[in-house]
Amino acid sequence: MIEVHHLIKHFTKIVKEKGVGGSLKSLFAPQKELVRAVDDVSFQVAEGEILGFIGPNGAGKSTVIKMLTGILSPTDGWCRINGYIPQKERKRYVREIGVVFGQRTQLWWDLPLTETYTVLKEIYDIPSAEYKQRLEFLDHVLELGPIMSSPVRTLSLGQRMRADIAASMLHKPRVLFLDEPTIGLDIVVKDSIRRAIREINRTEKTTIILTTHDLNDIEQLCQRIVLIDKGKLVYDGDLDRIRTNFGKIREITFMLEEADQVQRIPFPPHEDLDIKQEGAKIRLRFNTEVCSLPQMLAIILQAVQVKDISVQDVDIEEILRRVYQRQVAL
Amino acid sequence: MRLKAYTPFTSAGIQSAIAYKWNFLGFFFGQIFFTFVMFFLWRAVFRHTPGGLIGGFTFLDMTIYIFVANITGFLADTDASYVVGEEIVQGSISMRLIKPVSFNLSILFTELGQKLIIITLVAIPVFLGLEWFRYSQSGHLEFSIATFTIYLVSVSLSYLVMFFFDVCFGYLAFIFKNLWGINMLKFGVLNFLSGGMVPLGLLPMAIQRALTVLPFASMRYTPVMIYTGKYQGLMILSALGTQILWVLLLYGLSSLIWKLTERHLTIQGG
Repeated sequence: MIEVHHLIKHFTKIVKEKGVGGSLKSLFAPQKELVRAVDDVSFQVAEGEILGFIGPNGAGKSTVIKMLTGILSPTDGWCRINGYIPQKERKRYVREIGVVFGQRTQLWWDLPLTETYTVLKEIYDIPSAEYKQRLEFLDHVLELGPIMSSPVRTLSLGQRMRADIAASMLHKPRVLFLDEPTIGLDIVVKDSIRRAIREINRTEKTTIILTTHDLNDIEQLCQRIVLIDKGKLVYDGDLDRIRTNFGKIREITFMLEEADQVQRIPFPPHEDLDIKQEGAKIRLRFNTEVCSLPQMLAIILQAVQVKDISVQDVDIEEILRRVYQRQVAL
Repeated sequence: MRLKAYTPFTSAGIQSAIAYKWNFLGFFFGQIFFTFVMFFLWRAVFRHTPGGLIGGFTFLDMTIYIFVANITGFLADTDASYVVGEEIVQGSISMRLIKPVSFNLSILFTELGQKLIIITLVAIPVFLGLEWFRYSQSGHLEFSIATFTIYLVSVSLSYLVMFFFDVCFGYLAFIFKNLWGINMLKFGVLNFLSGGMVPLGLLPMAIQRALTVLPFASMRYTPVMIYTGKYQGLMILSALGTQILWVLLLYGLSSLIWKLTERHLTIQGG
């Protein structure tokens, strides 16, 4: 059970003007600026829930996660996880949580992977029998077998990430914080990591907070999302609702034989249609409820000759943008 | 504190020391080179000193001093400020914070593992060589197990003084964001004040006293004086006492700084 209560984090940042002159100026008379990285965020997570915690870069996601894991102290407000205030009893609290920061590793860089696990076994005081059983389970869901004896620095990003996730789960944490666990990974690895997360959540009722930029992560893992931007909470609720409202947006990019042919395409008239043109390259965003994807493709392909065409899902940034434009819808 | 939780840090330290053996060997040969440079420097000084005596030191005394001071410095040396500073600057300190262990003790035990390798590979041959040299000059064996044991205790204390001093120093990274420059400054200043360049006995009395009361003599000079037999009886006891006091004080200080920074922590990046 996680409670986040009016959490606030302010940083002071030193503003430097351009060039050598600016550097000198900030050396003698530093100009300070207050950054409201997290601005009054509150939410709760029930036991066994997987919460998608999303927002664009610099929204304050990582700062919230750092406060929840006890690494950072809030300027104001508090959070309580399983009855602990992380900043008050760090050592006891972190026994019950697992953390993965996708951009960092907790593995021992120079040593074979197994050694990191041995270190963790002692740190968390895991009995040998339990440890062995646990490793078997993690090996089963994350396929660690072939890399167990390789030095960590020789692992690929995907292997390292799987190893890192296993490291965070070795001590059967009740709460798991996954900060961009799929960043930079290919689809196959992403898929196996998602499967592992689901499996662990299902079998052990682990509460999971997941931050990601990949909408697929969210769709496949989370029932509920919390969306923040510029440090403020923008949305807290069902993924389904946000998907009905915003998830039906698709983007088609295509190259025309000639730039002016675009006028020949009979686009259905609707406000939820956004066309951008750069020379012969056209980018089209539309709501599939108004016009389905096959329909739209047919309209385009019948009207003009295209050299190349591709279809994309909208990313979280786009959804956020739409949340802003139509805030009433939430 | 559960000591058992820290033993794997030591074994991991041993393994990573072995993984980066060239790094360490390069450093070691650099030290040897430096030691001989100092030896030749002092030899030149003594040759031009009438009477061959400087501040009560004969050339033989000085030679022994230089070699003992350097191996002692090598044994008591620490990378703590570098490790602490780097973790703060890179932000990887967060990976230590999410573990139920004490920050500075986990660094200490990792470094102890690396030390273990240094001691077996380097210290033993160096001390054998030293004793052989002393024997060849004086004609009788000066080695005593009792003195050497006290020396080892004193070196260990020197290391702890250095370590906790350096941890405190490393926390400066929270303020300066990059420690390279002031680390160089610290190295030079400490090397001199702890007796690495010149025996503290050659310095003016007032400075000598100050350095003995302050932690500097405890960082290196004390064990060297014990090994070379310049300290005897009560003098040894009071010197060891001073060392223990500084270990405790600096440990307390590093814990205090840690408690304070834990509250105002800013982790960089990611």
